[in-house]
Amino acid sequence: MTLVLLLLIPFLAALTVLTCKQSRRAVRVAMSAGALEVAAIANAVWRVRSAGVLQVGRYLRADGLTAFFLLNVGVILALVLVYSIGYLRHIPAGRFSSPRWFYSLTFLFVFTIMAVYLSANLGMLWICVESTTLASALLVGFYNTKGAVEAGWKYLVVCTVGIAFALFGTIALYLAAVKSGVNPESALDWAALMNAAPNLGATRDLIKLSFVFVAVGYGTKIGFVPMHSWLPDAHAEAPTPISAMLSAVLLNCAMYALLRFDTITSHAIGSGFSHTLLLIFGGLSVTVAALLMVVQRDLKRLLAYSSIEHMGIIAIGVGLGGPLGLFGALLHTFNHSVAKALMFFTAGNVRESFGTLRMKRIHGMARSLPWTSAGLVVGSLAIVGMPPFGLFISEFMILTAAFSGSRYLIAILLMVSLSVVFGALLHHFQRMLAGKRADVPSKLKLVPTDFAVMSVCTALLVMFGVRIPDAFAYLLQRALVVLQ
Amino acid sequence: MGLIELAAAKALASSAVFLFITLLMMASAKRISTCIVLFSVQSAIMAAEILAVAYAGKSVESYAVAALVIVVKVVAIPYLLFRIVRNLKASQDVASSTTGAQSVFIMAALILLSFFAVAPYAKTLRLDEDLLAAAIALLLAGAFLMVSRKKALMQVMGLLVLENGILLAALTTTFGMPLVIEIGIFFDLLMGVFLMGLFVFRIRDTFEHLDVSKLRRLRG
Amino acid sequence: MNLAIDVIQALMLIAIAPLVRGVIARIKARIQNRRGASVLRPYADLLKLFRKQDLVPDTASGLFRLAPVILFAVTATAAVFVPVLHASALFGVGGDFILLVYLLAFGRFFLMLGAMDGGSSFGGMGASREALVSALAEAPLLLALTSVAILTHTISLSGIVLATVQQYPLHLSAVYVFALGAMVLVAIAETGRIPVDNPATHLELTMLHEAMVLEYSGPSLALIEWASAVKLTLILALLVGVFAPWGMATGASIVGLVLASGAFALKFAVSAIAIAVIESSIAKLRMYLVPDFLGMASALAILAVAFTALMR
Repeated sequence: MTLVLLLLIPFLAALTVLTCKQSRRAVRVAMSAGALEVAAIANAVWRVRSAGVLQVGRYLRADGLTAFFLLNVGVILALVLVYSIGYLRHIPAGRFSSPRWFYSLTFLFVFTIMAVYLSANLGMLWICVESTTLASALLVGFYNTKGAVEAGWKYLVVCTVGIAFALFGTIALYLAAVKSGVNPESALDWAALMNAAPNLGATRDLIKLSFVFVAVGYGTKIGFVPMHSWLPDAHAEAPTPISAMLSAVLLNCAMYALLRFDTITSHAIGSGFSHTLLLIFGGLSVTVAALLMVVQRDLKRLLAYSSIEHMGIIAIGVGLGGPLGLFGALLHTFNHSVAKALMFFTAGNVRESFGTLRMKRIHGMARSLPWTSAGLVVGSLAIVGMPPFGLFISEFMILTAAFSGSRYLIAILLMVSLSVVFGALLHHFQRMLAGKRADVPSKLKLVPTDFAVMSVCTALLVMFGVRIPDAFAYLLQRALVVLQ
Repeated sequence: MGLIELAAAKALASSAVFLFITLLMMASAKRISTCIVLFSVQSAIMAAEILAVAYAGKSVESYAVAALVIVVKVVAIPYLLFRIVRNLKASQDVASSTTGAQSVFIMAALILLSFFAVAPYAKTLRLDEDLLAAAIALLLAGAFLMVSRKKALMQVMGLLVLENGILLAALTTTFGMPLVIEIGIFFDLLMGVFLMGLFVFRIRDTFEHLDVSKLRRLRG
Repeated sequence: MNLAIDVIQALMLIAIAPLVRGVIARIKARIQNRRGASVLRPYADLLKLFRKQDLVPDTASGLFRLAPVILFAVTATAAVFVPVLHASALFGVGGDFILLVYLLAFGRFFLMLGAMDGGSSFGGMGASREALVSALAEAPLLLALTSVAILTHTISLSGIVLATVQQYPLHLSAVYVFALGAMVLVAIAETGRIPVDNPATHLELTMLHEAMVLEYSGPSLALIEWASAVKLTLILALLVGVFAPWGMATGASIVGLVLASGAFALKFAVSAIAIAVIESSIAKLRMYLVPDFLGMASALAILAVAFTALMR
């Protein structure tokens, strides 16, 4: 029931919100549904924490890894929903035609994401990941401007094609499992596969083939570099709350899918092959994204490339493996989502106040938008991995894992890229922040909810930078157990 | 060995050839509607193949999958696409960036490539090499159609062909996935085509053309 | 007995060639809701032309008169190599399909010479277009025939036909399919049918074959027309013989021969209808798209050859 509720609430919410013609009522319904969902997530995480594994029927399952990612979704969902109250208020009515459709699609999106995390079957997992694309494509194209339609189309087509490769990989894995004597009916069930994993070694080539396709497929969705073309467009053109959702929830969601496959592959044929592949994708993503960040002109695109970079860091963490690397990678997913949510929130404020995201045309932010600027500064310090913020800890762990495993090339690559990112952000933001009090076209008045989300993000980042709470660390350990 | 078994065996043995023919014709097709018809035919061939497998294996699930293929891929999606084409009232040209001969040449090369690609696997796994090669060829052909045709609808077409390849791969290697998964995949596919159709209309309304190669506002 | 059949089938090919043309024209007329001329009309045309005076341009040399004769002789010779009623031909030798292709090319070469010798600008233009088409059509034709030859492990047309007749009719080899595709495209180009050329046009922008023979008249024109009819029939017979030889006599019995003639008539009727339908339903390609058209044929032919190694 706990798990079913997680799916039921967003699904019903998506339908209920649609019936609310008044935008104020729609917001109220959405908020209460959101609160319910967050409560349900908290409940589910708690149950999993005490019970270890929850399974409902054949297709719903939650273990430690699920619980950890569910927590991530819960936090970000709460932040995004609260932020959207202020966002809707700031936006002129003409641009944002229909809040009820916005919320309905958002809840549908949440529904599919929940389904990804809860599916006990890798085939089901694929179906759900594909549904996240379908559910969010309309959100990306929500504004119906030229840019938004183009971004939505690109997102839909590129991700669907990419994901198709993942399906191919899934089939290859299924074939390997069936050939190794697993019952065809349950050959994609996570539990059955994990049991059979040590025996899968006989079909070595097939497992390798499967992982390559899955890495390319889900990697497209994660935004690994050669397949990242959709990501900056989608992030830049989507409404800001959705940009935050994409970056902080959706990318992790795809990463989760890849982690599952990586675990099985490692168990079957040893971790060498899959981890090397992840290191290659990760290294490529970090380097290319860092370099591209230098030349960006649009604030949200800059943030999108930063997401690619951080997904690369996470992939490197997983690729390095070992308790330290994996712990760092998982911690980094959480930290990154909080920091990136904060940055997208500030970017949304900037957009509504300056009417543009072109960084060239933004001056004197520090004077005209002091609080937003503060949020941006905190976010960017956190995102480049400065202490006392959480990302420092996780990046430090990953670097330590690299050094202790004598992976100097990766370590150096990571450090160089991080300093390039630091330079890029410094270069872009000092121009935006400094300068005279610019002629801001519409004076943006922040509402309490804006302050609330920004301060919660900051508090979380600092908290995780100073000390990881015990309860959270325990949850992380449980997640690591699943992966090892 | 009755007549039906014989027919089923023959259908399986030569369906790869028919699939290749649809691919080559798709490469040479100049109108979108031709491609839609060809896709429908291609799916019908696959459905026949699944029926043959179902008959040979006496599996009820495979019959269900065959029914799904017929309903979704042979009828529903082509119908949907035809409606889109009719309502768009735009030119039917596929706007290929390669000439007909080049397309057929490339398609032929892809077919040959797929034979070389599957050769090692087909041997070790004792699978039907022709069908597996056809699956890979469909995959590659779909990708080729997507990159070489500029019309938005042709990208959908390419995607569908690619998806057919994956279905065929699943069919030849594992005799199909569990039914629940298959249903989910088909549902996703149908929704995907529906959404892409929606976007095609939006592209036409906001850009006043359907040439996706001209969608280049977002760069860098 | 065998020798007799060989002679009969070669003569028959030459004799019925105008009839095939007439039938196609008649079916086309019917499709287009006209009554159309009698199917025997081409014979009447030939007779009329033979009785007329042969006009030669002042600028022309002896080649002008010689070309049609050579063309007809070569085409008639080619007919001797094609199995029609039974799986062998009068001059069935190893490698005869290559000889066949080059005999046809030889004839066309003389026709082109004759056209240019005529001195009119149309002749030159037609010749250059014909050269383009034939240069592009030759490779796929040879490749397609080669692929079938490799598949059947033989080097003669009669061997190919015999192997095809004897194999299991339901067995569909990819090689046959692709080779057939290539051959059909080539046949359309070779025989000057729509969409490559329009045999009924006299529009200078589009004509190929007609441009070449514009200067000819009388018996010379009759020979050329007859030769091109024979070529059409011959290529049809080749297609039918290689790809659908069922019904051909394998032994030398009267019953077999009668059956074979019946099957032959049926298959020709079907091809004639197919040609008529295609010609009525599609438009002629622009000249610069013809290489594209033949490029597809080449791709198919190459695929056919490659598949001889892949599929058996």
